[in-house]
Amino acid sequence: MDMVLDLAKFKKECVSSLAVMLILGIITLVLAPFTGHYRGLYLCSLLGIIIVFASGAYLFLVYGRAAKDIRDIAVPTMQSLWVSTSMGLGYIVTALAPYFQISATIAAVLFIVGWCLLLFGAYRLVTISKKTGIPLAV
Amino acid sequence: MTEKVKDFYGDYSTLQVPPEERRSTLNLFMVYMGVLAVVAAIFAGSGLAMMYDAGTMLTVAILGNIVLGIIGALTAYPGGVCRANAYMLLRYPLGRVGAMIGGLIIAGISCGILWFAVETWLFGLTTSLIFPDNWLTSIAVASIWGGILMMTTAYIGYKGIGIISYLTVPFWYVLCLIGFFAALDHTGIGINAMWSLGKNVAPIGAGVTYVIGVYAAGCIITPDVSRYGIKKWSGSVAWFIHVTIFMTVLLFIGGIMTLATGAPNVIAAIAAIGLGAGALLLAILGQWTTNDNNLWSGSMAFVNVFPNFTRRTWVLILGTIGTVIAGVWAGFWGMSLDPFINFGTLLGCFVPPVGGVLIADFYIFRRYVLGIKNAEERYKFGPGTKYGTINVPGMLALIISGFVGWLTTLPEYSFGAPALNSLILSIVLYLLFIVPMHKAGVKYEVGVWIEKETGF
Repeated sequence: MDMVLDLAKFKKECVSSLAVMLILGIITLVLAPFTGHYRGLYLCSLLGIIIVFASGAYLFLVYGRAAKDIRDIAVPTMQSLWVSTSMGLGYIVTALAPYFQISATIAAVLFIVGWCLLLFGAYRLVTISKKTGIPLAV
Repeated sequence: MTEKVKDFYGDYSTLQVPPEERRSTLNLFMVYMGVLAVVAAIFAGSGLAMMYDAGTMLTVAILGNIVLGIIGALTAYPGGVCRANAYMLLRYPLGRVGAMIGGLIIAGISCGILWFAVETWLFGLTTSLIFPDNWLTSIAVASIWGGILMMTTAYIGYKGIGIISYLTVPFWYVLCLIGFFAALDHTGIGINAMWSLGKNVAPIGAGVTYVIGVYAAGCIITPDVSRYGIKKWSGSVAWFIHVTIFMTVLLFIGGIMTLATGAPNVIAAIAAIGLGAGALLLAILGQWTTNDNNLWSGSMAFVNVFPNFTRRTWVLILGTIGTVIAGVWAGFWGMSLDPFINFGTLLGCFVPPVGGVLIADFYIFRRYVLGIKNAEERYKFGPGTKYGTINVPGMLALIISGFVGWLTTLPEYSFGAPALNSLILSIVLYLLFIVPMHKAGVKYEVGVWIEKETGF
């Protein structure tokens, strides 16, 4: 009974993590038209779509999966988190780059969202890895 | 039930990877992609741009990379089946001591020292071009801290390499795409107009040869990663997809960026456009994710030759040598790296034959001549296993094919693709020597080597 509860609780944690990444990705997509320049629009659209797709697809996969063990939940969650975390690094590096000519306020928000993606993603990856014993680079 | 052998050297350098350490196909794909994600691949595209127009460049890249995909998939599969790195697998086609020589050629000296030094120096050079007025980003100083960065993940081992690959690979390729579109946008060249860039000044064969030569060494050390695959074919699939699709994309992007910007150093060009930190990260992360693999493979090759030190100690030794060559020799003293590049290129002629004898032995000799249908039965490892000290047909095939491969790089003997020439010749020669010897009952292995408890 304990193992079943643990699995359900763990699944809920993973779904929440993916949902957070999905929301952050949607935020960047919503901000895309307000960047003030077509380069900023394309940048946010590209990175945002990758995050939304990677998080959304895996969210449905993990949520809908009748998992038999923790690996069935942890592995796809971690794979998705890696992609979103990597895109977070992308926002950190590009949001303030002069080339994209993104308005200062939006650039600052994207920069912060990038750090949120990177730090939250790293935190959840380490936590899941420690909890399950599955290697970080799964 | 066999007792678990202690991994004395680290990262199973002399042992088979146990089931609990195996990784997903995606993990292997990410690690291979990390190796590919290197500034030199973009520069290789620049080389193609000097020879072809955009359309022909794409064709040449596809053809060359399909060949690389097939060769690498063939060498990766034995690694996935046997769960052993390249230097262990070579104990059968080359003999135990022959495997030491082969391992030093393909990874120990060429990747672990020479190319590690050259790529570290290239890192320093690119960094200095992006930020020219800062002592921290001077060639010498950047080479030193860059070399140290690359040593850290190699020191940690496959886990560290996997982590840095997962974190940086998706973003690195997106950054390349951004740089590509930024270069076109900045120069006002549209997607349709892009196809008119460049001129065909060389035959297609020359370009295919060039593409194969760019990554021939990488093809042969695929077992170092594929041995971690959860399925036997994980490495083969991961390798084939990454090289045929993504290496083609990288070469094409590099070529178009050069044609569009007219700049020999595209990284510096996109930094000038206004992608500052992005360009710097492109250089840092690209070199890091490739060079740590060079050093990691090199350290495992040295462990299989000199058992005095663990894998991590070899990382420190080789990494320090390479960093000193890059930072001090080339950086502070301003000496040319040409002697190292030339020697590395010479050694590179002997790399494809190493893969060739492995392919010939695993897929043909053991399967059809010795009749070992089950792939898992063809190579055995573990304490007490007996190997020949030297496999005579293997060593002869390696030396002759490597020499012929080198000859065909010279203008007066230029013929086909040198890397392919030596690979195919090594397969043919190996079978020509070993099959008659076996059928005549002549011993083709000299001496006996018994594997120790440490796997050495």
